[in-house]
Amino acid sequence: MNRLLIRLILFIALFVWCVGFSYNSLFPNSAYTIIASPFLKKLYGTVCHQHIEKTFLFNKHYFYVCARCTGIYSGALVVSFISIFSLPRLPEKMTLLYFSAIPMLIDVLSTTTGIYSYSKIIALLTGIFFGSTAFAYILAAIENNFADKSL
Amino acid sequence: MNRNKLLPSLVCGFGAAVLTTVPGVKNFACCLIVPVAAVISISLDHKINRSEFPIKAKQAILFGIMTGVFAALFSTFFDALTTYLVHTNDFIEALPQTEDFIKQYKLDYLLNQTMTIFNQMASDIRANGFSAFYSFGILMSNLFVDIIFGMIGGLAGMSFFNKHTTKI
Repeated sequence: MNRLLIRLILFIALFVWCVGFSYNSLFPNSAYTIIASPFLKKLYGTVCHQHIEKTFLFNKHYFYVCARCTGIYSGALVVSFISIFSLPRLPEKMTLLYFSAIPMLIDVLSTTTGIYSYSKIIALLTGIFFGSTAFAYILAAIENNFADKSL
Repeated sequence: MNRNKLLPSLVCGFGAAVLTTVPGVKNFACCLIVPVAAVISISLDHKINRSEFPIKAKQAILFGIMTGVFAALFSTFFDALTTYLVHTNDFIEALPQTEDFIKQYKLDYLLNQTMTIFNQMASDIRANGFSAFYSFGILMSNLFVDIIFGMIGGLAGMSFFNKHTTKI
């Protein structure tokens, strides 16, 4: 499969996913939003705790995922968009991936143990850092196995 | 896939489903539960069936899908069981609020039909503790999400184990 096609598919999939968790906020005055709300809440509830106090409020509606998940998916979406045009080759070792998870883990442990109180902005930023790196590795894994080697 | 090949996915899928229902666990793991379960299922398969390295992408994705399917099935079962026991759930509790919002809009036929279905599901759950339509909807959404995240976990596990073959 063509590398560009793989990257386009992943970008579209991530775009739909991100629109889904922010659907309420993006289309606040639509009756379809209210109808879809219980299903979307349940759908995203599979992958997120959805605590209101840890979730962004936009257009008087909460996202269906927490600030950290918003960061992870947004980071992945941004990198997936950039990857359509160019993406630097990642190192073979997974050190960068582990390194990108460290700020997120420190934040989770620090807020849980009460070293400092939860901040949506910090959760978002650590999520973006991890999400963008993780996406690059996942893309590399997919392309190494499915993309045409000649391209 | 023989029974021994299914066992790691079954065990890890069950584990993931249990963890998603335990209050508080999601605070730590969020979307990582199913992908991690897929990674562990690949590791278990290697230990039980002495599978060879390097792991092929097709095999890794298959393990991800199977772990996702089992996680979705068990999650739906736990959800249905809890609903059956207490005769209510998040959907029932949010329904009056949804109806209040709906009254603000002039609904077309399709939306009216949707609300009728919502109300039917709610009355089934209140009366019997179970709604086939609701459970089917939950199963579909669980399958959709868990399979995708399972596949991601499978691919991540493949990359990880293929790079650390000598350490296992």
